[in-house]
Amino acid sequence: MARFHSLEVTDIRRDTRDAVVVTLKPEETEVDAFGFVQGQYLTFRRNFDGEELRRSYSICTGLDEGCLKVGIKRVDGGAFSTWANEELKVGDRLDAMAPMGRFFTELEPGAAKSYLGFAGGSGITPVLSIIKTVLAREPHSNFTLIYANRQTSSIMFREDLEDLKNRYLGRFSLIHILETESQEIDLFTGRIDAEKMEMLFRLWIDAEEVDTAFICGPEPMMLTIADSLRSHGLGDDQIRFELFASSQPGRTKNPVASKAVAAGSGTCEVSVTLDGTTRNFQMDKNGTSVLEAAVANAMDAPFACKAGVCSTCRARVIEGEVEMEVNHALEDYEVRAGYVLSCQCIPVSDKVVISYDE
Amino acid sequence: MTSEAILPQDDAMSLSDYLERGGKLTSPENVSPRYRGELLRLMSSFVDSELAGSAGFADAINWAPGLKERIAASRITLEKVDHAERVLDLMSEFGTDKTLYNKTHAWSARQPRDARIDPKRQGGDMRLSVFHYPLESWPDAVVMNTLMGMGTVYQLEEQALTSYQPLGEIFREILPREKRHMELGLEGLQHLVEDDATRAEVQTSVNYWLPRVAETFGPAQSDRFERMKKLGLRHTDNETLRAAWKADAEARLAELKLG
Repeated sequence: MARFHSLEVTDIRRDTRDAVVVTLKPEETEVDAFGFVQGQYLTFRRNFDGEELRRSYSICTGLDEGCLKVGIKRVDGGAFSTWANEELKVGDRLDAMAPMGRFFTELEPGAAKSYLGFAGGSGITPVLSIIKTVLAREPHSNFTLIYANRQTSSIMFREDLEDLKNRYLGRFSLIHILETESQEIDLFTGRIDAEKMEMLFRLWIDAEEVDTAFICGPEPMMLTIADSLRSHGLGDDQIRFELFASSQPGRTKNPVASKAVAAGSGTCEVSVTLDGTTRNFQMDKNGTSVLEAAVANAMDAPFACKAGVCSTCRARVIEGEVEMEVNHALEDYEVRAGYVLSCQCIPVSDKVVISYDE
Repeated sequence: MTSEAILPQDDAMSLSDYLERGGKLTSPENVSPRYRGELLRLMSSFVDSELAGSAGFADAINWAPGLKERIAASRITLEKVDHAERVLDLMSEFGTDKTLYNKTHAWSARQPRDARIDPKRQGGDMRLSVFHYPLESWPDAVVMNTLMGMGTVYQLEEQALTSYQPLGEIFREILPREKRHMELGLEGLQHLVEDDATRAEVQTSVNYWLPRVAETFGPAQSDRFERMKKLGLRHTDNETLRAAWKADAEARLAELKLG
C-alpha cells in the first residue's frame, strides 16, 4: 500500500522570481510507476520541524518530453514551496507518490477537436502539460488558452508558451489577461469576471466549436468561468475543473492531531485482540487511527473502506477513551455499547484496550 | 495546480461557499472529512446496490425463456459488476481496499419475499433496500429490472451532477448502459404481456415491486439530503425524483395495460 517513492532532483530552473521548475528522475526500477497522463500531479511529503507536510504539484511536461517536471510557485508562508524555491538543490531526493489525477480527456490522434483552457497563476502547470500533449498527439486539434496573471513578470512558463505558439502556428492561440498592467486591448486587462467572459465569447471564442474546456485556477475564477461556459451551451461533461488543493481543509490529520494533543499528548499504550490473540504496542497520539497503528504493527486487522462507511473494521473499546472522526456505519446503540470504527478511532487516553472479536 | 494557496486573502473562498455555488472537487486531496464521509457513503451505496443487483439477477440467466433473453440477462449481470468496479476504483483512491471490499458482504444474500425491510440501511451493507428482496421467476425478474432500472436512471441523472467531478464522470459514462438495461426490461415486458397466462403473473409482480422501488428514493423529508445538497453532492430532493419516476413508470405500465 505505502506509496511513496524516492525521486532525484536532476535540474532546477528558475522560471519567475518566485517559481521554479524542478526536474525529477525516478529510480531505474520505478520508472513505470511514474508513467503519467497529461494533467496529472505528484504528491510530495517532507518533514518540517518534525511535522510531515504533504503537498501536490502538477506535472508541467507533455507526454512526449521524456521527463518529469513540476512547477512550484512560492507562496508567502508556505513551508514547502518556500523550501523548494530557496533551498532545494540538484542531487537532493524528494519523496513522491505515483502520478494521480483525472484532469484530462482521452487522446484521439485522428480527431480534430477544439480545446479551450483557462488558467490562473500557477494553475497553468497542468494546463501546459495538456496543451503540449494534445497539440503533439492530436495533429488536427487546436487549443485556445486564456491565461490570467497579475503582471507580465509573474507569468509562469511565458517562454515555453511563446515557443508553442511558434511551433504550432494556427493551432495554438494564447490570450494573456493581466490584472495590473494595461495592454493594447482593454479586454485583456483586469480580472476574469462575467463581463469579460461575455466579451471573450463575443469577440474571440466560438462556444459552439468548443469540445472540452479545462479550468485550473482560484475557486471564484473557476466558478465564474464555468457559469459562463454553461450559459453558452457547454454541458458539465465538457467542462473539466482542476481545483487547487490550496485553501481546502483537505487534511484531516492536522485538526485531529491537535485535538488529540490537547486531550493528552504523547503516546498511548494499545492492546488489540484479534482472532483470540492479544498484541500490545505503543502508538503516537498524533492523529493516527488505531487501525493504522495495528496494521503498522503487523496485525492483520480487518478493514475495507477506511472512511467510516463500511463497518468492516468495527471493534469494541474495552478500556480507555477514543474519539471517532466519522461514523456512517454504526447505529447509536452500537456506539453506546462501546463499538467503534477502528479506521476512524483516535486514542485520547494513555491506555486503550480494543477487541475485534466481540 | 499547487497545493499551497497562491492567492491573497481577497481571493480566498470557503469550501462550503465554493460548493454551494456549483464548484467541483477533483481529488481526494481537496475534500473535507465531512465531504469525504458523505461521498464515500454515496459511493458505497451505489457499489453495494450494483453488486447485489447483479448477484440477484444472475439467477435470471437460467430462467430466461430464450437465447435473446439469456444474452440480455447475462449482459445486465456483467455490466452491473463493471459499473460497481468503476466506482470502487474511485473509492480505492480514498484508501478502500478493493479486494477486501468485495468480500465484505454476501451480495447474493436475500431476505424472505414477505419480509418487511426498513428502507434504511441494513448494517454495514449499504445496498438499497429493494435489493434485499428475492426474485422469484423470469417475469418477476423482468418487472423488477424494468421498474428499478427506471429508478436508477432518474437517480443517476441526478447524481451525474455531483460536485465530486470524477464520480460525476463515471455516472455519465454508465448512464447510457443503465438506460439500456431498463429498455431491455421494457422489451421483455412487452413480450410477456402478449400472453394472458404470463400477464397475470407480471401484474402480481408489478404490485409487489412498485412500492419497494418507490422506497429506494429515500424519505420525503431528509436531513441527509439537505446536508448533501449543501455539499453539492445532491441537487434534486427525494420526493421530486420519486414523483418523476412514478409518473413515468405509471405511463409506461399503462401503455402495456398494466396497473
